[in-house]
Order: sequence, then structure tokens, then C-alpha cells
Amino acid sequence: MKIPLYLAKNEELRAIGIEPVPEAEQSVRAIELLDQYRKFSRQLSVMLETCTGCGACAKACHSYLGTNDFFNIPAARAGLIRRVYKRHLTWTGKMLTKLTGGPDIDAEMLETWVDYFFQCTVCRRCAVFCPFGIDTGEIVLAGRNILAKLGIASSFMVNIARNELTAGNNTGILKPALLDSCSFLEEELREETGVDIKIPVDKPNSDVLYLPSSSELFTNVETLMGAAKLFHFLGVNWTISSTLLEAANYGFFFNLDIMKEHNFRIRSAAAAVGADTVMEGECGHGWRVARMCTEGANGPVPFHLVHVLDFMAARLPDLPLNKLPLRATLHDSCNYARSAGLVDAPRELMRACVEDFVEMTPNREMNFCCGGGSGILMEEMMEIRMKLGKMKAEQIRQLLPLDYVALPCASCKAHVPLVLKHYGMEGVATGGVIDLLGKALRL
Amino acid sequence: MELLFGGILPYVAFAVFIGGTALRITTWLKKPVPFQLTLFPEPDGKVGKVAAVTREFLFFRTLYRESRLLWLWAWLFHFSLAMVIAGHMSGIYFLRSQFTLIGAAPETSILLSTVLGAVMGTIMIVSLSALLCRRLFSQELRKLSESLAWFDLLLLLAVALSGLGMYLPGYHADLPLVRTYMEGVFTLRPAPLPLLPIFVIHFSLVNFLLLYFPFSQLMHFAGFFANRAMLVEASPIFPTPAGKRLRSQFAGQKTQRGVFASREEADAREAPNR
Repeated sequence: MKIPLYLAKNEELRAIGIEPVPEAEQSVRAIELLDQYRKFSRQLSVMLETCTGCGACAKACHSYLGTNDFFNIPAARAGLIRRVYKRHLTWTGKMLTKLTGGPDIDAEMLETWVDYFFQCTVCRRCAVFCPFGIDTGEIVLAGRNILAKLGIASSFMVNIARNELTAGNNTGILKPALLDSCSFLEEELREETGVDIKIPVDKPNSDVLYLPSSSELFTNVETLMGAAKLFHFLGVNWTISSTLLEAANYGFFFNLDIMKEHNFRIRSAAAAVGADTVMEGECGHGWRVARMCTEGANGPVPFHLVHVLDFMAARLPDLPLNKLPLRATLHDSCNYARSAGLVDAPRELMRACVEDFVEMTPNREMNFCCGGGSGILMEEMMEIRMKLGKMKAEQIRQLLPLDYVALPCASCKAHVPLVLKHYGMEGVATGGVIDLLGKALRL
Repeated sequence: MELLFGGILPYVAFAVFIGGTALRITTWLKKPVPFQLTLFPEPDGKVGKVAAVTREFLFFRTLYRESRLLWLWAWLFHFSLAMVIAGHMSGIYFLRSQFTLIGAAPETSILLSTVLGAVMGTIMIVSLSALLCRRLFSQELRKLSESLAWFDLLLLLAVALSGLGMYLPGYHADLPLVRTYMEGVFTLRPAPLPLLPIFVIHFSLVNFLLLYFPFSQLMHFAGFFANRAMLVEASPIFPTPAGKRLRSQFAGQKTQRGVFASREEADAREAPNR
């Protein structure tokens, strides 16, 4: 299936330091890049060379279940690279091609890569279902990295990466706007609670650098307000940074050099405010990248790295809470559940702050992706995004009547409300876990 | 011809099998894993990790949980294969008297060895056929199967069928002769290949299998360990403990920091192009 993805223009790519490869050279260059990537990471060759095509992954994948497109079966998706890999980079493949002829890499193949590597949300559910634990997400990320180095990338992701590189956050907020937003939110907090609660920006001598998703300054404000309330109550000496106001790291989705660059700023931003602890806010892939990729991308990590949900769960005994009269469920962000082991903390918090907490089936590491992961949040992909969200919608439907779906991840927060609307469940509210905790807190 | 098949081929096949497999594995292991790929929930400690991988290896737990019918055929095939390999080693070496070691009478041992061999061989053929049919009759799996996947299955089936062929009524498998020959091979004094027709076919197919193995998808047995090892790696500790080595060159490379000082600067830099 062709997808309506808007590709980045050359000038957009140059703005993030990528020099596009002329179309005529792309095929040859793709093979060189594939060879480079295979030397760069063990997983690519092990995973491509181990798959036996048993098909166990088919029913694991929300993308295949939602679209019924053969190439959205994880093994088939990986097969798009495997064919090229075996044909050009293994000598059995080379020999066999001499005997039988085989598929070559051409512009059409690269287009197919785009079509299917951007219908995978790198949720890793296939790795849980595969008898060998093959993680198609890794293969997809390799494919997207290779495509990006050729100059083929999603315009949406490239522009977000550019915002991250220049402004230090996805939405491109600069310091004056940030200060404005914070004083507005402080005002809101004062109205709501009657207490003077600060959202400190670039405060020197802070203990904790808090990295929210920058969307928390505009759309998901309840999450940042909740966090501010909780930090205030617990007496945490915290700040946000104007140079790095983002837990998300879009480089992870298509260009590891950009991921590394954005990651590096965590260290300098923490040093600038004197913090020895970096606390990540509600962002799924952001937490995966920070926790699992910082050491690998940027060398030894000199600070403590914690997630706000783990931190709050540990401080739960100190928090006086009024249980909210809600029937609520928790959506495990894939990156938390399968890639970063954050499953118990959000549950403890949910049980503590709502009256009726219900679990989805399946949940935890078996949970379905909401369909908006790995940067697939672009407008033009809406029809496909709704298909990718089908399994999640069905899971939520089983729990109706429901008041609230807790989504401790900014991508899920952006995507799930649209899915609920599309599948006729507008009545269900969505938001973060910290939002609820903030509301339940007795100040 | 007898010398080629009986005296040279087995050594070449064995050397290629061991050397090729080792080469494939070391090629994998020489490459870095730039980031922890831990798949949670993370098993506890070294013992937990080994236990998790071993359980998966012995019982195919993931398949059992997710795909019961596939599990049945896949597990039966691999189990019977393991039994058959063990049976070949002990049965040929002890001339079917291996069960006397655990107290069976010599006749019982011979009977037991023969029956077990036949049963395991049959299970192998049935399970391989089932795996083959599974691929054949599902359109999805047919599309998913690379051409060599069919070849792998057919080759294994041919090996199993020729092996079981030696159990055909009226066929006299001259075990002592085979043992003498194999002993010669193992002690580097190869004798001519015993010219028992089905044995020659079986033996040549096995040699071909060994030659082919390291370059085929059958290497998934090693890929299993290489892959699972990455998935059970311990997650990082913060701050990073002193003296920890860099995971890969990537971690050591400098970033382009400073290139993107601010949004305004980037816009200004781009302005002439507009």
C-alpha cells in the first residue's frame, strides 16, 4: 500500500545537516549504507540472518492487524531489507543471484521501504512474539536511517528534529515564549489552588532538571501543572531548561546522529543549572532513548536519570491523595513496557488516585501500541494512523463505560484522542498519569 | 569415488561445518551492540538470564504461548532431531547396547535403541512434513517463505527419510561395518565407504547438510543465542559506573554541537538559499 507521507525537501534536510544523495546514485549508496549499518550494529545482521519466516509475528503486529497488508507482517517488512541484504552483502546471496537472478535495489524498492517502514511504530511487540526475539523495530530503524542518509525522510520528522536542534524542543518554543507560557500556567495554578506554585526556568543551583514533553506547555498543560504541584508539595528543587525543553528525541526515529546530538544536550543543560539528577517527563520513546541509548550514544552518563513516574511512585506514601471518582484505565506506552521496564509505577499511581482502576487486556509487555509511536503523528497519514490504532480502540471499547484513559506518553496523548473519536468513543477523556496525581493531591 | 565420498568429503564437510559456523558467529559477535536492547521484563541477574534463555531454548516457550500448533510441530521436530543425533552417537558407538549402561539386558537395549530410533525418525518426518504443509497451504506463509526455506525443509526431510530407510524390512543395516568405518573417520584413518546403498545416500546427504549448514537459514540455532543474549542484557545504571568501556565507536565520536546554535542563526544561514 502506498502511503501519503510528505517527504522532506532538500533544503529541509540540509537544515538538519543531511546532504541528500542525487536520485541516480541512491541505489548504489543504499547498499553502501546498509553495509555500514551492519558494521555499526550487531542486531541488524543477527536479526536479518536468523528469521526463518515462521509467521508467528503476524498476529503480534497492530499494524498488520489494522491494515491487513501483507508487508505489514513484521517478517515481511524486515524481508524488504533482507532481500537486498542477502542479495548484495552475503556471498551465498551473490552466488545464488548469479544462478537465479534476483531483485535488485532500485527507486521502486526504496519507495516500498518508505511505505512500510513508516507503517511500523517500532513498538517491539513482534520481539515478544518471535521465538528468536527478532525485533523488527531495529530493522525498521536501520531502514529509516539509511533512507534519511539518502535524503529520503518524513518532512514532519525532519522539521521536528530541526526544532530540537535549534530551539531544543519539538514545538520550536524559544525562551521568551517559554517564560510567557510558564507564567500563564503559574497563574492558572494560583487560581486553581490558591497557592503560589512556580514553574522555574533555567534556575541555577537546582537539584533536578525536569524534561517534560514540550507539548505540555500548550496542549498537555495538565501534565506540567500536575508535576509542578507535586514538586512544590514534595519540596523538590527543580527547574526546566530553555535550552533543552524536551524529553522526546526524534533523531531516534530516523537519524542516530541527530539523536546523539540532542542527547548530548541533556548533559550540558543539566550542568548549566547545576542539577545532578535528570528527570524525564511523560514521553515514551524519550524515556527509552534517555535510559537505553544515552550511554551507548554519548558515553558515560555523569548524572542520575529517573522517570517522573518512578520518582512519584517512590514518594507515594508522602502524598495525601483524594481518590478521583473515575473509572480509568492505563495504556502502557510500548516504550515503557517493552523497552524501558516502566510498568509498575504508573499502576501504583493510578490505583492511588482513582476510585476504579481497570486493566486493559492484554497489558504490560503484551500491550498493543496505540498506533502513534515512532513519530507517526503526521496529518497526512491520518487514515493509516486510524488503522494502526484499531487494536487499541478495540481494547478500550471492551472497558466501556470508561471515564479516562491514562496515557503517560506525549505521542499517545496526541494520537489516542483521535483514535477514540474515529471509533466513536469521544466521551472517554484522555491525559497523563501525572495529571491525575496532581488533581488528586490535597495541597 | 569411494575415497572421495568416504575419505575426503566427511572431513571437508565437518571442517566447513565447524569453521563456517564459527566464522558466522564470530562475525556477529565482533560487531558492537551500540545500545542496550533489553526487552522487558528483564530477567533477574546472571542466573535469571541464563535460566530464561535456557527455558526458551529447551521448551520454545514463546511459541508455546503464542502459537500452539506451530509450537507442537517445531518443538517435536527439534526434539526428535536432538534425540536422533544423540541416538546416532551412542547407538553407533555402543552398537545399540547403550541401554545396558543403565541396567537393561543386551537384547532389551538393542530393541529399545531400534524402536526409539524408528519412532524418533518417524516423528521427525511427520513434524517436518507438517511444517512443510503449514507453509504450503497458507498463502501468507507461502509468500513469507524464501525459496531456500523450502530447500532447507526438503533437505532435512531427505536426510530423515534416507535415515529411516535403513529400517525398511529386509534392509540389513550392517552396524558393525558402519561403526568400523566411522571409527576410521574419527581416528583419521578413513576406510572406504561401506557400499550399502541407502547408507551411502544418507551419509552423502548428511555431508551435504553439514557443508550447507553454515551458509543457510539453519544457522537460526546460533542466531537464537546471539539474539536472545542482546535482549536479556542488563539495563544501564546511572550515573555510569567509573571505568566502564564505551559500547561502540559511536559513543566516542564527537557530536556536531554548536553547529545549531539557535533557530535564528539557522534561519539566517539558510536565508541566502531562499
